[in-house]
Amino acid sequence: MAREVMERHASDNVYLHRDFHGALSTGIEYLHTHFGEDAVRDYLRQFTVTYYAPLIAELRGEGLPALKRYFEELYAIEGGEIDIMLSNDELVLTVHACPAVKHMREHGYMVARLFRETTKTVNEALCTGTPFATELVEYDDATGRSIQRFYRRRP
Amino acid sequence: MISCTDFIPAYSELFRYLESRGGREAVIGFWNYLSDTFLGNLKSLVEANGIRGCWLYWSHTLNEEAADFTMELDEDAGEFSITMHHCPSKGRLLGLSHIEPYHDYCGHCDVLYRRVLDPLGYEYNLDMSECDRARCKLVVRRKS
Repeated sequence: MAREVMERHASDNVYLHRDFHGALSTGIEYLHTHFGEDAVRDYLRQFTVTYYAPLIAELRGEGLPALKRYFEELYAIEGGEIDIMLSNDELVLTVHACPAVKHMREHGYMVARLFRETTKTVNEALCTGTPFATELVEYDDATGRSIQRFYRRRP
Repeated sequence: MISCTDFIPAYSELFRYLESRGGREAVIGFWNYLSDTFLGNLKSLVEANGIRGCWLYWSHTLNEEAADFTMELDEDAGEFSITMHHCPSKGRLLGLSHIEPYHDYCGHCDVLYRRVLDPLGYEYNLDMSECDRARCKLVVRRKS
């Protein structure tokens, strides 16, 4: 019988634990079951305006290029294929397959019934207090493939 | 999509939200639910490999989480331990100036894994006395 020791420093590995997508999905399903659909949206809204406050401030100050940078970094880390079209007043993000949904499907994790809210509600909350609004133009629950549009509100 | 690298603050805020809606009972209820529905891989690894299952499970998760740790396995003694020098989750929360960690964030580690390992015949001891410095010590022992 073996005796083994493993020592690791934070710098030995890259921080990327994709199973966390499954844990978040489980949390959303729990909220949905026990507190209802509105609770899922309420939680995601609260989380977004709190945690992404620096990004929201950048969106307010700099505009859509801040959001473009954020999405490029996010999907580069997660390994998702995307296209972004940016103009002065509009950003359209096409996600060909959501890395979170892909990972959960491949590893047999439950995808929450309202998992799409991690895109829709989060995007809406990112626009809070900014001159921009958003719409989820398309979303495929099976793959997470989506088209997300951000645009300047009309005065 | 919320990146998996942003999961820890989302997790901490979920605990806070649940407590605001259903009190401590809702938080514990979620931890139990997560343990039952999400930790099937730990359960099957320990069922198939005994105490080595802990080694196999945490070898995967702690490396992907880029933790700073020493992990030890002594199969003859039926003992497994993790000395967490710097927890990537709590450390991440403590490093965020605009987010306050849920007051019992580390409590989930005590509930989730104990719930899997205790029924399989293992004692689960987690020393959380240094959690506020992102440190802890876990010892799992085969019950005699």
